Amino acid sequence: MNNNIDVLIIGAGPAGVAAGIGAKKEGAQNVVVLERDWDLGGILQQCIHPGFGLRTFKEELTGPEYMHRFIQQAHEVGVEFRTNTMVFQIDKESNTVWTMNKERGIEALNPKAIVLTMGCRERPLGAIRIPGTRPSGIYTAGTAQRFVNMEGYMPGKRAVILGSGDIGLIMARRMIWEGAEVEGVYEVMSWPGGLRRNIAQCLDDYGIPFHLKTTVTKIHGQDRLEGVTVAQVDDHMTPIKGTERFIECDTLLLAIGLIPENELSRMAGIEIHKVTGGPVVNDLLQTTNPAVFAAGNVVIVYDLVDNVSDEGLIAGANAAKFALGRIPKDAKRIPVKGGENVRLYSPQFVTGEADTTIFMRVTHPIEQACKVFAEPGLYSQRLRYARPGEMNEVKIKAEQIRNLPDLSEIVIDIQPV
Amino acid sequence: MNYDIVIIGSGITGASIARELSRYKLNIAVLDKASELPAGASRANSSMIHGGFDDKPGTAKAKFCVPGNKLWHKLKDELDVHIDECGSFVCAFNDDEIKHLELLLSQGKANGAPGVEIVSGDELRKREPNVSPEIVAALWSPEAAIINNFEAVNAMIESAQINGAKLFLETQVTGLLFDDKGGIRGVATNKGDFTAPIVINAGGTHAGEIASWAGDSSFKIIPTKGEYFLLDRVAGTFVTSFLFSCPSKAGKGITVLRTAEGNLMAGPTATEQEDPEDRATTPEGLAEVLKGARKLVPNFPVNMNITTFAGVRANTESGDFEIRALTKPRGFINAAGIKSPGFTSSPAIAQYIAELIREELSDRVKLTPNEKFIPERRNVPRFLYLNMDERKKLAEKDPAYAQIVCRCETVTEGQVIEAIRRGARTITAVKMMTRAGTGRCQGGFCCPRVAEILSRELNIPLEEITRHGGGSKLLVGKTKEFLLNKEGK
Repeated sequence: MNNNIDVLIIGAGPAGVAAGIGAKKEGAQNVVVLERDWDLGGILQQCIHPGFGLRTFKEELTGPEYMHRFIQQAHEVGVEFRTNTMVFQIDKESNTVWTMNKERGIEALNPKAIVLTMGCRERPLGAIRIPGTRPSGIYTAGTAQRFVNMEGYMPGKRAVILGSGDIGLIMARRMIWEGAEVEGVYEVMSWPGGLRRNIAQCLDDYGIPFHLKTTVTKIHGQDRLEGVTVAQVDDHMTPIKGTERFIECDTLLLAIGLIPENELSRMAGIEIHKVTGGPVVNDLLQTTNPAVFAAGNVVIVYDLVDNVSDEGLIAGANAAKFALGRIPKDAKRIPVKGGENVRLYSPQFVTGEADTTIFMRVTHPIEQACKVFAEPGLYSQRLRYARPGEMNEVKIKAEQIRNLPDLSEIVIDIQPV
Repeated sequence: MNYDIVIIGSGITGASIARELSRYKLNIAVLDKASELPAGASRANSSMIHGGFDDKPGTAKAKFCVPGNKLWHKLKDELDVHIDECGSFVCAFNDDEIKHLELLLSQGKANGAPGVEIVSGDELRKREPNVSPEIVAALWSPEAAIINNFEAVNAMIESAQINGAKLFLETQVTGLLFDDKGGIRGVATNKGDFTAPIVINAGGTHAGEIASWAGDSSFKIIPTKGEYFLLDRVAGTFVTSFLFSCPSKAGKGITVLRTAEGNLMAGPTATEQEDPEDRATTPEGLAEVLKGARKLVPNFPVNMNITTFAGVRANTESGDFEIRALTKPRGFINAAGIKSPGFTSSPAIAQYIAELIREELSDRVKLTPNEKFIPERRNVPRFLYLNMDERKKLAEKDPAYAQIVCRCETVTEGQVIEAIRRGARTITAVKMMTRAGTGRCQGGFCCPRVAEILSRELNIPLEEITRHGGGSKLLVGKTKEFLLNKEGK
């Protein structure tokens, strides 16, 4: 069976499970999803708080509940899952996927199409080079979440949270629920990293102080963390002398950003976008290797799992089309360009083979009426505001592209009105 | 506990001495206060095997560096240690610095360092295209190499253990014991007395204090901090050899190198301090490293940094190694002040210590060759570097080798279990022995998994697992228990 796989999907998080469903529904015969953990669901398994699926199911679900619905559907349509199976290498030329599993040992798979759905990982402490010692008690928020929600252990009693990414906000509340103290959340930027609703529901509701333009400047403690020094920063993010403050704590949780996890993509020789950190893709979610597709946080870090599932369905369906020889080889490749206030976006190319959504984030917040648009005259939508912590979308119909045979590029931007 | 030899400290110096002396029929105890090896300066240094041009002829450093370099090139196979034989360049930016290169060249010739020569800046850039266009010349040393220092210390001490030496971790020497003739009788520790007619002081930054207990105040250790940046493997193609700046009085200056494992690295600073245990990085130190790195490699990709760290090296006032057997108390040997090129020199120093014992202390301990000495020692299998057939075989033999624990460095559960079998008891010990947690996510993924395996294999509760011994526990309790305890129910 190994050499008879139509679509092989790497990672059974929300993107991967949806890709499996999308591939089966498009008519692929053998669709296999590989998962390195013992269970399906990816990071959503440890997200036991509600707030998932408002768009897709019109109700608030927990992470495991949301995944359960997709997993059930995947089983119904005949997706094959292999858990405890890790891909550790993809060969560039042959697209051979090397897997390992305790029962099956090491295997080489040669699928007709591949979908990358490995998700993302958290930025570690070293990425921001905070001076001081290296005691225990410093965790990324996701690692702490795994300890608390999956293993049932507390990482500490009194926490400081650095960065205001969503997992950090969620974990601030979680630590309070478990009887720990949270001294405060510190964000180096002048705007929050996570969603406003999480600031309200996880910090404000629990009286957890939130400090913008403030960061940790020193770590104290030999064995276990004993405290951190925080300081306000100026517009160049340099700590301001005289604003330093020592905070006693035994735990520092980091929510300082997520990075698409593309070690395997690099091995496969796929072009990685310098800004998104994910594969360069077109609107079919096809990478620069035509047999390899990618979806979800491995491409660009989304705010909402609903978007990740939607993209997974699309990537799976197109991978199936590729496996079945139904993707035209001479599809268009119209580049998308970001305007002045666009930090990142995906996809970077449009074929016009299908209706598409371009996801984007602004560089600087616009706290007034503004509009998101795509030139030449493809899309325009008024917004009340635009914030880096909240993604914006541009929707383009295949028909619009077909009607513009000389279209050479699409420019997207968000500007005040 | 009675031994023939007690060695204080199991850094590269102590471990090399232990291994060298295990060639003889001796009961050897090696004591270290740390929970895992390497711990002190042997953990946090530039991992350089020096070419031997940097030391003034006639010094102890000059005496041991070139022979040490030669020994390491042989030991790497015997001990299964990773060495990248990349060579080194000392870079000169102006005429004054070229004069310095000429001095180094003549020292190199006097010290017997093979193949040392001065090349032009353009020749350097042919091999290292990312170095500064302002470099006008460089001293090339082909025998210089970069070693995996974590592996090397563990390999040395393991080889000694294979040949009968005993290692005692978390064992801190608190004083010396003397016999009624004023000779050495052993050491007192937090774990009780270890008696032996010969005590070797390889106490690193604490060696001065330990020597003073023996009444020896002939040298003083000046703890000197060195701070470093460690970058992602992805940045490892930026430079492929070891790049020195021209040295100043404080040290060899900021260097840029590719580690034996392919990470880009820059450092160290040289800041003298009182506290031998202060390994905190500082804003000033890190800024100095970055400035120095950018001088050598202008587009040094600091955005790929994965961690910063500092080590404290055992500088001496003389600037040289302090290696001698004391006449009073007899039986006490200093192997102190072992800083750069200490890692390089250590196997040669170890041979010299054996010679000292043979020539000066044979009344205390006789060196009878151990015919059963096994020079070879194999590393924990390194899955990352095996070919696919080797990997398949390993996974067939033991399914734990078909389970990745550390994604960044491709470390399997089998390797973690093997490290535990060889004595690893902490997260950091597993890291030192397998490299789990040394990669770009710095343990974010593998730390909980390694903790689980430690807990399972050692049959101790997860809450008891520490990062690096002492009070460095990872967790503070179970979730609901914690809440109930807090509410006093």
